[in-house]
Amino acid sequence: MTSPLLSIQDLTITAQLAGETRTLIDHVSLDLAQGEILGLVGESGSGKSMICRSLVQLLPSRAIKISGGAVMFEGRDLTTLDEATMSTIRGSEIGMIFQNPTSHLDPVMRVGDQIAEGIRYHQGASRAEAKKAAIQILQQVGLPDPTRQHDNYAHEFSGGMRQRVMIGVALSCNPKILIADEPTTALDVTVQAQILRLLLDIRDQRGLSIILITHDLGIVAQTCDSIAVLRGGKLLEHGPKRSLLAAPKDPYTIDLIASHPSMPAPGGDAPEEKPQAAPPIRTPSAPLLEIDDLVVRFPASGNGLFSGTGKFVTAVNGASLQVMHGDTIGIVGESGSGKSTLARAILGLTPLTSGHVTFDGIDLALHRAKALAHLRRETAMVFQDPYNALNPRLTVGDMLAEVLKVQNKTTGDKLQSRINELLDLVGLERAFAGRKPSTMSGGQCQRAGIARALAVDPRLIVADECVAALDVTIQAQIIDLFRDLKQKMNLTLIFIAHDLAIVRNLCERVVVMHRGTIVEQGRSDEIFANPGHPYTAALISAIPDINPDKRLARLDQVLQAEQVVFSMGDEFPATINKITTRELSL
Amino acid sequence: MSTVHVSDWNLRWSRWLGQRVTLAAGVSILALFIFAAIAAPLIAPYDPIVHNSELRLVPPSLFHPFGTDNFGRDILSRVIWATRIDLQIAFLGVIFPFLIGTILGTISGYFGGMVDIIFMRLIDVVLAFPFLVLMLSIIAILGPGLSSFYIAMALVGWVSYARLIRTQMLVLKNSDYAVAAVSLGFSNSRIMFRHLLPNAIAGSIVFSMSDAVLVLLNGAAISYLGLGVQPPLAEWGVMVAEGQSFISTAWWITFFPGLSIVVLAFGLSLLGDGLSETLGARQ
Repeated sequence: MTSPLLSIQDLTITAQLAGETRTLIDHVSLDLAQGEILGLVGESGSGKSMICRSLVQLLPSRAIKISGGAVMFEGRDLTTLDEATMSTIRGSEIGMIFQNPTSHLDPVMRVGDQIAEGIRYHQGASRAEAKKAAIQILQQVGLPDPTRQHDNYAHEFSGGMRQRVMIGVALSCNPKILIADEPTTALDVTVQAQILRLLLDIRDQRGLSIILITHDLGIVAQTCDSIAVLRGGKLLEHGPKRSLLAAPKDPYTIDLIASHPSMPAPGGDAPEEKPQAAPPIRTPSAPLLEIDDLVVRFPASGNGLFSGTGKFVTAVNGASLQVMHGDTIGIVGESGSGKSTLARAILGLTPLTSGHVTFDGIDLALHRAKALAHLRRETAMVFQDPYNALNPRLTVGDMLAEVLKVQNKTTGDKLQSRINELLDLVGLERAFAGRKPSTMSGGQCQRAGIARALAVDPRLIVADECVAALDVTIQAQIIDLFRDLKQKMNLTLIFIAHDLAIVRNLCERVVVMHRGTIVEQGRSDEIFANPGHPYTAALISAIPDINPDKRLARLDQVLQAEQVVFSMGDEFPATINKITTRELSL
Repeated sequence: MSTVHVSDWNLRWSRWLGQRVTLAAGVSILALFIFAAIAAPLIAPYDPIVHNSELRLVPPSLFHPFGTDNFGRDILSRVIWATRIDLQIAFLGVIFPFLIGTILGTISGYFGGMVDIIFMRLIDVVLAFPFLVLMLSIIAILGPGLSSFYIAMALVGWVSYARLIRTQMLVLKNSDYAVAAVSLGFSNSRIMFRHLLPNAIAGSIVFSMSDAVLVLLNGAAISYLGLGVQPPLAEWGVMVAEGQSFISTAWWITFFPGLSIVVLAFGLSLLGDGLSETLGARQ
């Protein structure tokens, strides 16, 4: 290999916290060649973002310092440069894009001006020249109408389009290295495929090097040339993509590859004995839950005394679904497809506009009070964001005790033993009863959330994107927990996810939602093998596979129509998830 | 920072305090005033009310560190005794608006709809009048005295707290744990007061500290205008008012009560800042 463009040598970063010195990055050495895409993989906290921030000296706190090693870039050691020299490097030599483009774009500045700003600052171009260059860049990052969209603001774009603009801003100064920090984590799977494709195209056109930070090995397998696996600040393994994926040496890497919920190759999943492969024999009985032609609409804007435009957003449009006792049903679809709204409507948390939801024979639309009382005692929900789902002021024990008391499940002496039992069930140590969510990790919080759901002794659990905010390895653990609980407790589970691989892994039946309607439903293996609806096919082909030879499908044809909708931004703002699905700013 | 022998709790406490110097400073200043108020009969060197015509307008000296006023009363003793009334004003002038505002704000934000609209318009009406004008007219109707002052504060001051809490409620009621509480069949009052309010109230507690400063100044202003505390009772605002006519010859009559107001206000501000750090960080 020729001499690398960027060479990280023995980089060590330490933090001074309350008198102790902690090593965050421990003697990491990496090389990045011209035109190479390097994937940094690891869980959150593994130090992958920290390394990249240290390259441009944007460490998150003053207490954190580079205490050893060097970062060689074009003959200079970046760790020794002063602030003034560094600011000429940032942007013009090393560009960055982030996970959440919404918070990294200036909301009150036209996107074109944000791109032009860098061109004028770093290259000294005139206003008119910069504008012309900006439009060109917008075209390059794939905006359909760059001349018009130059004058738009960030909020007028959808998430994928914003990420494109963000890439445009990073490209504006013609950097030699682009650092992409989880660029697609906040995006839907089809949009993710487009953005990854864009990054590859840009690399080919401009010959720049990219450092791609991600937790998804599938993305790495599809886009990167070499992979570096990090854990706890240490570089576990580093090497070319194919050899590393084919023959991982470190046990953690092996584990990571094994836990990747990638689609097993068609016909290749025979050795995996799936417990749900044989459908349980069902006595022909009434379904536990029946949804019939359900419509849920929200007022499009304000509902004050004089405001209210009379316009409505239809989140769920004529959905019908039957859930039998003991079923595990996955609902998949992109953000804004109405899957969360459907879940909340089932549990009576959102008013129904029309149609019927019948739980255990009681119609929610006709006998609302009776049905609600029944629902509250027989169903429970698990939420997306594990931190937001737990009251930060209550300890786990208090939280569970309250549910048990209010629902009159257990009282007095048995309370403590029941709490212990619940903690055992979800795999939390009993000592967690005394802890508050702020002292727990995301995975632990999610387990506590599941324990709260189980405290109700529910017959039906609705899990809304409950693993989306977690690291891959933790995701796999939570999925295993659900599978385990389902068998032990004979639960009925409605599992909402954007990640098709997870749904396929866990659910026997799958329901595909698109713009408020159910476009397809049936047995998972059948749907994944022979998708009947083009939208389902598009979703499936957009998943980055861990096998680098299974190329990311070109989605352009399928998604031509979609793209128009995506660029219109707020066409489907009906999603309930306040942070865009799958994005957790912690 | 601490030795090995110090218990875990002590260690944590000292670390907690060490990290929050502002909070510690605020607490100490407030503690000093509370001590003065409680121990007034013991530490005040002279009687605060009794006149002594031989000692009129004595400048600060060893026997009268803060000097005496035009009736020969010791200023230091009067400042110490006044602490009792002024702390009472700061506390009662805040606690009623705080309680009323918190409850109405919680209900308004949680239920929304018509309830919210009515409360918000009511707040707009209260805010439409200049604060002091509204207070003065209420006191004028009820007659001068401290109880009128507290009633006026309660009627006017609750709006800020109601708005603060309502805004927090609007955000929190859509949080997942609120939805979870609904889905678990908890009653509205339980969700409102046990789950949401403790998470919403931090901002109001911090605000109440700076509000206490304003109330204190209002109390002084009202007393200064002769509508609050009545002479010869010692209150800082009254003392400032009494000393006003001697300002060129006997500055100490006005200066020391004024200084006390400033120091207490400063202490409360520090406390408010410190609390906002502590509560904001959520442990």
